[in-house]
Amino acid sequence: MKPVGMCRMCLVEVEGVRGFPPACTTPVTDGMVVRTRTDAVEKIQEGVLEFLLINHPLDCPVCDRGGECPLQDQTLAFGPGESRFVEEKRHYEKPIPLSNMILLDRERCIQCARCTRFAEEIAGDPLIDFVSRGDRTQVLNFAEQPFESYFSGNTVQICPVGALLARHYRFKARPWDLATAETSCTTCSVHCRGAVQSSSNRIVRLLGVDLDPVNHGWLCDKGRYGIDWVHADDRVREPHLRVGGELREVSWPEALDAAAGEIRKVLRMHGPGAIAVLGGARGTNEDAYAWARLAKGVIGTDHVDCQMGDGLPAEVVLGVRRAEIDDCDRAGAIVVLGPDPREEVPVLFLRLRRAAKDLGVPLFDCTPVGGSLAPYAAHVARRVPGEPVGADVVELAARTARERGGPLVVVAGRPSVAEAPDATVRSIAAFGALDGVDVRVLSALRRGNVHGALEMGLAPGFLPGRVTLDAGREWFTQRWGGVPAGRGLDADGILRAAAEGRVHVLVLLGADPLLDHPDALLARRALEGVPFVVAVDAFRSESAARADVFLPCTVWGEQNGTVTNLEGRVQRVARRVAPEGTAMDDWRIASELAYRLGADFDLATVDEVTDEIAAVAPAALGATAALVRRARDGVVLPLREHLGEIVVRTRGLSILAEEGAGTSWDPIRAGGAAPAGAPAASGEPAPRTRRRRPVPARTRRRPRTRSSTRTPRASAPPTRPRCTSGTVRQAGPPRPRVTRTLCAS
Amino acid sequence: MSFFTDANLARAREIVARYPSPKSAILPLAHLAQDQHGWLSPEAMEQIAELTGVTPAQVFGTCSFYTMFKLRPCGRLVVSVCTNVSCLVTGGPEILDHLERRYALDPDVTVEEVECIAACGGAPAMQVNYEFHERLTPELAEDVVDAYKRGALAPRTVSGARAGGAA
Amino acid sequence: MGRLSGFLVTLRQYGKKVTTEFPKEKAPRPARRHGRHVLNRYEDGMEKCIGCELCAGVCPARCIYVRGADNPPDQPVSPGERYGFVYEINYLRCIHCDLCVEACPTEAITETKLFEFSFTNRNDAIYTKDELLVGDDGRARRLPWELWLGGEDDDTSEWMRVTSPSGDASYEGRVSWSGELGFGVRPPEKGQAQD
Repeated sequence: MKPVGMCRMCLVEVEGVRGFPPACTTPVTDGMVVRTRTDAVEKIQEGVLEFLLINHPLDCPVCDRGGECPLQDQTLAFGPGESRFVEEKRHYEKPIPLSNMILLDRERCIQCARCTRFAEEIAGDPLIDFVSRGDRTQVLNFAEQPFESYFSGNTVQICPVGALLARHYRFKARPWDLATAETSCTTCSVHCRGAVQSSSNRIVRLLGVDLDPVNHGWLCDKGRYGIDWVHADDRVREPHLRVGGELREVSWPEALDAAAGEIRKVLRMHGPGAIAVLGGARGTNEDAYAWARLAKGVIGTDHVDCQMGDGLPAEVVLGVRRAEIDDCDRAGAIVVLGPDPREEVPVLFLRLRRAAKDLGVPLFDCTPVGGSLAPYAAHVARRVPGEPVGADVVELAARTARERGGPLVVVAGRPSVAEAPDATVRSIAAFGALDGVDVRVLSALRRGNVHGALEMGLAPGFLPGRVTLDAGREWFTQRWGGVPAGRGLDADGILRAAAEGRVHVLVLLGADPLLDHPDALLARRALEGVPFVVAVDAFRSESAARADVFLPCTVWGEQNGTVTNLEGRVQRVARRVAPEGTAMDDWRIASELAYRLGADFDLATVDEVTDEIAAVAPAALGATAALVRRARDGVVLPLREHLGEIVVRTRGLSILAEEGAGTSWDPIRAGGAAPAGAPAASGEPAPRTRRRRPVPARTRRRPRTRSSTRTPRASAPPTRPRCTSGTVRQAGPPRPRVTRTLCAS
Repeated sequence: MSFFTDANLARAREIVARYPSPKSAILPLAHLAQDQHGWLSPEAMEQIAELTGVTPAQVFGTCSFYTMFKLRPCGRLVVSVCTNVSCLVTGGPEILDHLERRYALDPDVTVEEVECIAACGGAPAMQVNYEFHERLTPELAEDVVDAYKRGALAPRTVSGARAGGAA
Repeated sequence: MGRLSGFLVTLRQYGKKVTTEFPKEKAPRPARRHGRHVLNRYEDGMEKCIGCELCAGVCPARCIYVRGADNPPDQPVSPGERYGFVYEINYLRCIHCDLCVEACPTEAITETKLFEFSFTNRNDAIYTKDELLVGDDGRARRLPWELWLGGEDDDTSEWMRVTSPSGDASYEGRVSWSGELGFGVRPPEKGQAQD
């Protein structure tokens, strides 16, 4: 946001300048001498604070901000001890609703204009503005038009006093009884960095953390306020087993034995092809990996899909050259094929809007129905739903990108489930076939950790680390003791096979096909056609209610692990509260089931799973738990191309810092300054001397002897397969197979 | 449903076209709307927002800054009585008090207290729809307002424009 | 002689009554004795506690648990927006340091001089709002298991803050608080400047 000099707290003395200019709006000049702590300046600061406090009510004990309030802190640091103002303060009705979620206490407002500036400059929906003037100046929405922005919660976070309040958080806790953990929001696939806070083992608030490469400190309201469900009353807290036609609460061993027993029986009678796994985009990478290993390595089925027929084929997502969100800022052109980003991946919308509006990157809006980005688009080229982008638009975008220099970023997802993915895939292929342009794709799939699940092999034909079944067969056979014989079915295929009675055990990993699959009728017939359903879920969804075994799993806020966002950035999510009931982590459930099926994963902690992924999955090579924990901005896969971007964390979150390292008027930042020589926004490679090159964990960790599935190490280990990403073309396969298949179509 | 009449809508479009940035037309359009309707209603602000490409909240914010825009229904005649220093010592408050009582129940007349209207030379002074009247007594002031009510004096519009003149 | 001189101490006590017949009577308590807390009310019956949790925040023993809630507009519990919805003190942990009383912005929590506690299980040691809140006469509720003798609930109001809000030690106390229901306000104490 641009500085406006509203509060006047930063008046300073500048040599050779008359008066006291505000520091925030005064540009630095060569040889300027600025004094910030002279007697005159201190007197001014005291005076300004006394003015700010004249109409500020003495609400601190009942104010949600009391204890983390920048005005309070400023008063303690620079203010006068006592006020000379003895008259009656200004009074308004308090608080009034600006929308369903945001409340406004006008008495507390100090008119800094942060909220109105955010709404206009950052979010682009100025539904609030200053009204009236003089001492009656107040922020208001228009009569019948509530402040219903998708980003309204950010104004509450940046409000320097308790004027803007969140209905969800009002009176829930005080700042000093909150415990905080740094985590990522997994509501959509952008994975904005946040600080999750709990009080008395209940999650009460999520704050945005300023992470330069991802969210710039912003969150959408869906992510920020969509946290209540963690403690919802209808969470399933204990495992259930269907006995005599109805689900009964049982112990974990009973439930796990029942599930494993049925799987073993079906394996013996019908083979691995009769078992299918749907879902898995909800959990962490560790969950996805453990389930992939269970399904593909132990059971041997490839009927595994984490998408519900509403995304893009795994070949496309894993095969294209990935863009980072930062690439949008320095792009030659941006093409948006996919859904309306504001609806599906809201904070990506903020980044795209910034790139188009503030940084002048030409944006091509090629969505079929248009939406929020149209006002900022340099070119609007509506395509017919179901048709790929016209050749002229492709050419124009390519020419623009070539002229301006910089990559051509394609934002691609499914515009709607009514439309087959072909059009999007063919459009990506058209861009991929361009010569002389650096085309990079941001796959705007919406499911929380769908990119992590795809990378971990929860898709037909793939194994962890962006490798196909065939490419990784030898490697993973040795690591896992087996891989599926051939390519399996995707979600559509699984449901169709189930409806025809060819699937005998269906595992639902947080999937609710009845509600979520575009073809609800097919989903219904499928669930009716499957004799045995295992649901691993936190809620008794419509589909999970049909389960024969229900295994309650932990959810966001209750589990540690890593997640991968749409850029391929791996970040840690943190456990802040104890799981409800006896809910268990997904990866542990998979590991327990595997043990009952005769395979010992030998994984005791979540970090061991992360380390195993880092050792086994080619694209995740080297991304060990220790590295991800220390990398402030997470790590982007494949690691060796993005090593220079890693910023080593030097301290924790600034809101956690106690010794004055962070004050409440700073944005919340993950600790650690960029090391000297770290890449600036321009993306120049940094010297690699900052970090040791991560040693693949394979050479360090040896399986313990308990392992029964691992074959003893052969004299010459099979060569590690290359991941299919187009980024490794220099030394790998001739061309990424994805691009080839796309060009052929 | 358009708030502006067809003639005024055409005029509004023409006003918007005069400025390099459509946003600049908010104030003239607000005057136009107030002259048409007698006050600035939420519907008027919504259409101004639509014509100038901003949100209604921004129009509301802009218009609420100026006391000349009436955001609540008001009378056909707006009587502004000054009570600043010069008028204070020469009898402004008495005029205000008298007029307020006299027209308290008259829907045609809205009496308001204003700060200095830059007519100290002729204090006490008041404006009727922004037309100056100076050297008043309570009785004289009432006569002036009645003259407007009878039609003996032709009032300006609520926004202060000459009847039929340009906004 | 030196050996016998020690007995003089014993002999001097001979004939004096030194034992207090507790629990029939209690020894006099100093004016600033810290004992069992009370939650005060205003004269109109409204609770003074606003659920701000400052007492819980300052408590070194972490023995106070407070949750605030929105005041029901038609039947407010306390003046203002917020009231103390849950208020619990665990007397197994409380060290009677009185920091909660110092921290309270509304003088809602103060201490009586009752310090005899005995519990037969841990749950009983947690006093809830029902037990802490003063009765209609503004005096501590006499809970059946407590031993109230004489004026142990007199003078529960906190002593004057002896320093000014800006930290000036030479500030002479001024009584600016309202006396809570049923209790007199003490005379101000002398500042700390001299002596």
